Amino acid sequence: MIDESYQLILVSAFLGLVSIALLGLSRRLGAPSLLLFLLVGMLAGEDGLGGLQFSDVETAFLVGNIALAVILLDGGLRTHISSFRVGLKPALTLATLGVIITSGTVGAAAAWVLGWPLQDGLLLGAIIGSTDAAAVFALLNAAGLQLKQRSSATLEIESGTNDPMAIFLTIALVTLLTSGDGSVDLHILGDFFRQMGLGALMGIGGGWLLQQILNRIILPHVLYPLLVMSGGLTIFSLTNLWQGSGFLAIYLIGLVVANRPMNHIHEVRWLHDGLAWLSQIGMFLLLGLLVSPSGLLDPKVAIPALAVSLTLMFFARPLAVFICLLPFRFPAREQFFISWVGLKGAVPIILALFPYLYGMEHKDTYFEITFFVVLLSLCLQGWTIAPLARSLGLEVPPKPEDIDHLGVTLPGQIGRELLAYRIHAGSPADSYLLRRLPIPSGVKLLGVIRGDTVLPPEPDRLLQPDDYLVLMAQSHHSPDLVALFMALPTPAHLLGTAFFGQFTLRPEVLLDDLCKAYGVSLSDDLRRQSLSELINKHYHGKPVVGDRVNVGDIELVVKQMAKGKLLQVGLKLPVVKQQAAS
Amino acid sequence: MHTLAQILTPGRTLCRVSGGSKKRLFETIAKLIGDDQLSLPANEVFTQLIAREKLGSTGLGKGIAIPHCRINNCTQPLGCLLTLDEPIDFDAPDGDPVDLLFVLLVPDEAHQQHLDILSHIASLFSQEAFCSALRQAEDTTSLFQIATNWAA
Repeated sequence: MIDESYQLILVSAFLGLVSIALLGLSRRLGAPSLLLFLLVGMLAGEDGLGGLQFSDVETAFLVGNIALAVILLDGGLRTHISSFRVGLKPALTLATLGVIITSGTVGAAAAWVLGWPLQDGLLLGAIIGSTDAAAVFALLNAAGLQLKQRSSATLEIESGTNDPMAIFLTIALVTLLTSGDGSVDLHILGDFFRQMGLGALMGIGGGWLLQQILNRIILPHVLYPLLVMSGGLTIFSLTNLWQGSGFLAIYLIGLVVANRPMNHIHEVRWLHDGLAWLSQIGMFLLLGLLVSPSGLLDPKVAIPALAVSLTLMFFARPLAVFICLLPFRFPAREQFFISWVGLKGAVPIILALFPYLYGMEHKDTYFEITFFVVLLSLCLQGWTIAPLARSLGLEVPPKPEDIDHLGVTLPGQIGRELLAYRIHAGSPADSYLLRRLPIPSGVKLLGVIRGDTVLPPEPDRLLQPDDYLVLMAQSHHSPDLVALFMALPTPAHLLGTAFFGQFTLRPEVLLDDLCKAYGVSLSDDLRRQSLSELINKHYHGKPVVGDRVNVGDIELVVKQMAKGKLLQVGLKLPVVKQQAAS
Repeated sequence: MHTLAQILTPGRTLCRVSGGSKKRLFETIAKLIGDDQLSLPANEVFTQLIAREKLGSTGLGKGIAIPHCRINNCTQPLGCLLTLDEPIDFDAPDGDPVDLLFVLLVPDEAHQQHLDILSHIASLFSQEAFCSALRQAEDTTSLFQIATNWAA
């Protein structure tokens, strides 16, 4: 017994070690880390080098549920409420109607391919219908990719909120298929509203409650994130026990907690980042162990699975995205991108465990096809996301909050923080005189740390690379502030002026005046509008940073926005060809 | 490609002048150009520069500005280079006061040429080494020398 425990610890720790050690390699290859974890699990399993036997569906289900909850909590903590402006409605449409269209289309195709009754096919469709939050968050973040907000917000909110729909469809179909009479009655609709309604209520209410508690009790710092996690999991399981959607609830808890003024938000985000990684590694390793790779290569599985995968990627998902985004009129390239990022991850695999738990017919086929679809999706789609986003021009300069800094919350002062930023060579703050540093109001400079010495914040102090600037700020000010301390992004086309243009215009300027100043010819009816009207019309009232409109040879680029309004428009001049003479 | 040597003269170079306010500075520039080019009345230069400034500050950030406009009766692109003794508020996008300016005037009809020169000058003034060399110049002659002899 004692030996067995240590063996179990040894095996799990060693697999974790291998996975993390190989992470660097997978990044260099541009491979999704989730794929790596699955492969390590499969290699350790019964058909691989490790030869480990693992077929405990119930343990896998338990671990999978905890891990998913932690990952969704982290996803919520990373979602900024400001992204709701452009992303919420499209994302919710995709998360509900989109899941139904995808599942229905691929389910019907699967029934035909496998020669199954339609309902069995639809169950498979429901299992693989949702876009996976873990996979999307991990891939977008790991690639260091900052996308235009329209695409990133839609994908993040969609993947955070569409699992409940897929889970609901799966459970409804499982119940239908196992109850025997095959009839559908109206209370299935009631179930749906109960799942969503209770999930939303518990999530928002629970999040608010947690935030109140966090701001009131005094604990060692490291315990605040753990309080968020245990609170989140408590509400998650309560919601599930009361037949609500716990997954929706825990995502909303993260969202509420991170978007209200709160102490210790840095610690909370920091630790949850790590917990989400741990959950992903653990869950994917376990799911990799659970599958028998030899079963996947059996032509009886592989051929229909391939057909189902391709239908999903090239027909069902694009169709769902096209229909759902129709009212929102997204630019074609962003629709294309969102279609392609219909990544599958752990949720389908965990849903594919339901047929086992209910002892259904074809249970192995459900699981194997689902596993195949997920692997292929991670390989094909996961591997190509970053290059695709770049070639579609959806990448924007990194956002300020991605920068590393030290932050300490002052005890008893909600939302006031002591911050230290490193001055990176080439960042906007490098080589600034302190008196010239455009810091937002409400921010107080406290000093400069240079090597071992602390220098007072004298107005004529020149900032140098590797200095630390220490200041006090309201935490919600930090996004404006940290823009100053960002190291320049490496790719040259994302440098501020190369991306946004050399000059900055006011959005209320009339096109007529712009045309006069630069001698651009334009029709009279266009000249009467302002830059802001032109851009808003072009992007159907929802422009995002990085959107572009051409006026003659000049390019107008959305440079800064706040609360849905344009603040600054970049003016990009045509690039002059380098000539040998100059 | 127009290098600075082709559009700048020692007569349109000013080192460490006192700026005062943004408006005051534009008056100084307009007068300098008006005196240098008799075909260009100072008030016309002033009006056009201010009109462009209304679209948004021509400040690039980090204390640099490139005021520019098209102008009637102008036969070829004209440049004017100034450094200030004290930085002045310029409504630049980064909020930083300005102490290094390059003013560009182009003929009314040459809009493609206008954009090309402007783009070239903006990229020149985004080079930190170039700007810090200009800021270190102590008199008009050396400021002109540094600006026109800069390779690239």
